[in-house]
Amino acid sequence: MSTHTVRARGLVRGTVEGPALVCAKAFSFLGDVDMDTGEIIAHGHEHRGESIAGKVMVYPETKGSSGGCVVLTTLAKRGRQPAAIILEKPADTNMVEGAILAGVAMVCQPEHSLIDVVPNGATVAVDGTAGTIAWQG
Amino acid sequence: MHLTVEEQAMLDGRHGEVIARALDYLVQLGEAFEAEQLVDLSYAHYPAEMSIYHGSCEDVIAYAETGAKVRIPTTSSTLACDLERWSEYGCPQPIHDLQTKAVDAHRKMGILGTYTCTPQLLGFVPPKGANIISVESSAIIYFNSVLGARTNRGGLFTRYAAVTGKYPLTGYLITANRRGTHLFTLDLEPDDLAHDSDYSALGFHIGAIVGSEVPVLDGLPMPTQDNLVALGAALATSGSVTLFHAPPHTAEANSVAEAFQEAAPKEAHRVRRGDLRGAYEKITNISEGEAIDFVTLGCPHYTLGQLRSVADWLREDDAKVHENVRFWICTNRMTKRAADFDGITAAIEAAGGFVICDTCPVECHMRQSTCKEFGLPVPQVKAMVTDSFKMARYVGDLIGCRTAVRPREACLRAAVTGKLVQRKTAKSRATPSGGV
Repeated sequence: MSTHTVRARGLVRGTVEGPALVCAKAFSFLGDVDMDTGEIIAHGHEHRGESIAGKVMVYPETKGSSGGCVVLTTLAKRGRQPAAIILEKPADTNMVEGAILAGVAMVCQPEHSLIDVVPNGATVAVDGTAGTIAWQG
Repeated sequence: MHLTVEEQAMLDGRHGEVIARALDYLVQLGEAFEAEQLVDLSYAHYPAEMSIYHGSCEDVIAYAETGAKVRIPTTSSTLACDLERWSEYGCPQPIHDLQTKAVDAHRKMGILGTYTCTPQLLGFVPPKGANIISVESSAIIYFNSVLGARTNRGGLFTRYAAVTGKYPLTGYLITANRRGTHLFTLDLEPDDLAHDSDYSALGFHIGAIVGSEVPVLDGLPMPTQDNLVALGAALATSGSVTLFHAPPHTAEANSVAEAFQEAAPKEAHRVRRGDLRGAYEKITNISEGEAIDFVTLGCPHYTLGQLRSVADWLREDDAKVHENVRFWICTNRMTKRAADFDGITAAIEAAGGFVICDTCPVECHMRQSTCKEFGLPVPQVKAMVTDSFKMARYVGDLIGCRTAVRPREACLRAAVTGKLVQRKTAKSRATPSGGV
């Protein structure tokens, strides 16, 4: 076991730690997740039935409606928001607005892809201000 | 990020906690996108919190309780019901009652009750170069492109921009980001762009190619205001286009070279008659001659001229809307007041149409998900005819019906006959455009 550290672009402040939820495909907050529970409901999603609450989500990019930021803030009102979001591609303003309001730390564009690197479920630490990602493995 | 003395004072809480928090959010947004400073805004078009979204009205009601007030002229976008005539078209009372409380909150905050997707048609015409913030994709693209004002795609932070009058200098507020990226050369005959819906088809075709970048349309014949509203709404539907240039008709470019800020286009495309026909065919999944039960005009909200052209068409033949057809024409209240005064509303409604304000079919209780959430019976709509690609794109998913896009005159014939009729016949009588 050693600590792996990767630099990324810090987007939304916050220093958090949580189990990784690694998704290989673009994620849509509108439609892919239940607004009340945080459970992934998209048919064919690799983590269908799992919850995003408290997780460090790793996915390539956000897709879908601009209503996505409303979903994120609604989840936060119920305490079902993810701990952090790691986007592999650049972020759009809509999700950043949602993450700021929901208090979800967010980074993007890590120096290399993490999707095949971070094991799903591994404990990942994210610093949204410094733009760092660290995990044991 | 560099803050002025005034901004730092806001952030430090010298204007109260609400303003400090709002400015903090905007600074965080700016930092995420590496903005160097905030800029002063002159206008905001605000997302009218809708009672069909869980928690949305409750949220603004609570925010208004803090005493927060907008600092710049702020108009409001569409709601989930017609505030005055909600009971006349089957709007469930809980949707109306909750919506009314949000309207009270908006008034308390100083937000103007325009409740329309087209504030630019109500006299909110920011000058070229003005920094503003707007929600509603069809208004955003019109402000940026036709008027040359500068706005990003506003979201939840429009509230914080409106109460502080500030926004980070990012995105489309920066001249270099307003450069054209894709060239579209129009190989079209005047006939191909005869109706507002043809401009809607053009926008829908181009938006699907260009995605979120900046198209430049070369060879657009002199358009009307209505044509440009239709074009922009469709560009922002199939793509997430925020700005387009159509030299010399749009604000920032008299020539194609100017639109590209002298750089080379990333991609060049030609647009031909077949592309527009293809757009109509692709979006339509009702067959010719098939029965229809809903006709919607007014996406984006119709102007007084467009309303008059509908009234004139109906009056001329003493036409009556078919008994199986629900026929809505959506507009804003200021325009409806003028239409009432001119006898236009009376003419449309005597024929069986309904002039509806503040909302539209996909924003109101006609949405399937809304009905389910409120435990209401889902309105049965099987097939809708509209003159707008934007409306057609959203009704399939949100209302759950099939759709066809046709020019206004063909929509009117569908309303009267209860059937989807031929796209064009020798006998068809065009409606006057109504636009300026």
